[in-house]
This record gives sequence, structure tokens and C-alpha cells, in this order.
Amino acid sequence: MGTVQTLKSAGTMDTAVEPTDLITAAARGDLGAFERLYRQFSPRVYGLCLRLTGQREAAEDCTQESFVAAWRALGRFEQRSRFTTWLHSIAVHTVLARRRGLRVEYEVAEPAAGLPEMADPGSDGPPLDLERAITRLPEGARHVLVLVGIYGFSHAEAAQILGIAEGTCKAQLHRARSLLADMLGLETSR
Amino acid sequence: MNDPVQKSLDDALAALSLDIEPSRNLWPRIAGDLQRGRRRPHALAFAAAAGIAGACLASALTWAVLHSRPSASTPAVTAKTSTVLTQSVRPTAAQAAVFDEPRNPSYVAARDELQVSFRDRLALLDPATRTKIEASLAVIRDAHEDIRKALASDPASPVLEQLWQSTSRDELDLYDHVVRATQPTMTRT
Repeated sequence: MGTVQTLKSAGTMDTAVEPTDLITAAARGDLGAFERLYRQFSPRVYGLCLRLTGQREAAEDCTQESFVAAWRALGRFEQRSRFTTWLHSIAVHTVLARRRGLRVEYEVAEPAAGLPEMADPGSDGPPLDLERAITRLPEGARHVLVLVGIYGFSHAEAAQILGIAEGTCKAQLHRARSLLADMLGLETSR
Repeated sequence: MNDPVQKSLDDALAALSLDIEPSRNLWPRIAGDLQRGRRRPHALAFAAAAGIAGACLASALTWAVLHSRPSASTPAVTAKTSTVLTQSVRPTAAQAAVFDEPRNPSYVAARDELQVSFRDRLALLDPATRTKIEASLAVIRDAHEDIRKALASDPASPVLEQLWQSTSRDELDLYDHVVRATQPTMTRT
């Protein structure tokens, strides 16, 4: 199964229902309940980390660190926000913190090192090209595109989590779209 | 960017799956990390809860003894009992600082009991002192709430986590200090 098909089938997992009982049990120290939360939510967290980092190993490390951090912070999760929103916030902060700590290593790494390994070599369809193009975006633009354009964060949420102004966030999204259009050979009239 | 291009890009972005399965099972490593990091906090958590519960019991017993037996021999006996009890449970607030599950029912119950003791003792103090203590408590609680809000947007921040624990400890320390500071006064009556 190629990348695109793999991604599509992974997307069928139901993460829309808030597993309140599992969250409550995990917050009380039930590791089995937390494992079920991991099984349910790790594909999305990993997808987010992979697209933010562009590297498979870094994404795996960030996913692992995110769930460890989530376990430790679960006692403070007050269920005012959705669990996925809270968990994604942890994942983004984990990626950003790791990025700050490993700046040099990341800068010399091949930016598309994570995704092509899962690509279907015979597929030249737009989704695969788009994934590759996303990894080639400048980091600021990529982060905003991934959060707002793909994972549905609001500009306000993305701006807060990235530590930038909301206007900057919007500008970065516009920049990301323009660059993507160029990379994908789409005609633009900027 | 013109609309058709934007729509084409938006459609392509919307077609991307949000979920990607990791190429290997990450759970064993996560579970290993959790179990290594969990054992100690759990033990300390129960110790903290037990310690706070013990402090409450000590305070309550001391209070009850002092007020129900005002004979001449009472102060010495009470002081001794109080010392033994408080020594055995002394580091309650410090232990609570490493406790990372403030919503644990046992912990919350023990903390609430300590708070009740604190309130009882606070009422015995002169108004000026009481005002100062309440002002200090308000500062601690405001800081705690600010940090809680910050943690809501950055739940994994180790710095915020430390600050959050620090303000929790400060609040418990304040309760503890007031409860303990009022004990000698009572034993002398």
C-alpha cells in the first residue's frame, strides 16, 4: 500500500468522540486506559509531529515525549477543552522545544527525510507531491500551514502556540500557500 | 493568489489525512518511561497524602485536647503529643510539592482538611495579622491561577510545571505555618 492509501486508511480512525472515561481513568493512574488513549490518538499526534519536523525519527521521538508529557500533565487536564486540542498543544510544544534544543542538527538534516521513505514510488499524484512540497517550506511557513491549513488550529491558537502575532500567522499562511503553488507548478496571479 | 489556485490548494490540503501511523510501535518505549517515572511519584504521592492527613489529624487532636482538658497537667502532655505527631508528619508541604496529581481524591481531601484547620486557626489571630496572611494567600493563589492558565496552553512546560508545584507548596506551607504557629499559644492557655 502506498503512502496516499496508507494515509487515507489511517484517517478512518474515530477521534471525534471524547473518551471521557478513559481520560478520567488515565488521570487516576490507570496505565491501561492511557494505552488505549495512545492507540486512539497516536496516529494524529505522529502525523502532526511528522509534518512539523519533516523527519521520521524526530517525529517518533516527539510523539513519545508528547505522550509521556501528557501522562504527567493529565491530572491538570480539566476537560474544559477537547482532549485532542490539549494533546496536540503538547505535541506542538514538544516539537518546538526539541527544535530549539537541536537547531544545528535539524538545519543540516535533509528536510524531507521523514516522508519520502513512506512514499509510493509509483505514485506521482498531487497528495504525495504536496507532502514533499510541505517539507520544503521554510520552517515558519510550514508550521503555520501544518497547524492552520491541515490540522485546523485557528490563527489565534496557532499564533499563541508558536509565539507569534496573529497577523504574522496569517502572513505566514499566505506565504506558505504561495510557495506551495510555485513548487507544485500551479499558476498564480500574485 | 487567485481563487482557483487557492481552492485547488485548499482541496489538496483537505485531502491529506490527519493521521499517519508510526512505522513502529512506540508504546513499549512510552510505557517504559512512564513506569520508570511513575513509581517514585506514586510512592511520594501517597506519602504526601498520608502526611497531610496526619498533620490534619495532629492539629485536630491537639485542638481537641487543648479545649476539652484545661487542667494544669494538660499542657505538658499535649505538647508532647503534638511534638510526636508533628514530627512524624512534618514534611507534608514539601512532600506535596513533588505530587503531580492534585486531582487525586485522597490528596484533595487531605489538603481540604488542612485548609479547614488553617481557617479555624486563622480566626483566632488578631485582625491585622489575619489580614496580612489572607493577603499573602491571595498573592499565592493569584500566581497559582496565572500559572494554571499558562499551563493550559503549554501543558508540557517543565518551567511552568515547577512554578505550579512551587505555588502549590507555598500555599500548603502557609497553611502549615499558621497551624503550627498557633499551637504553642494554645498549649500555654
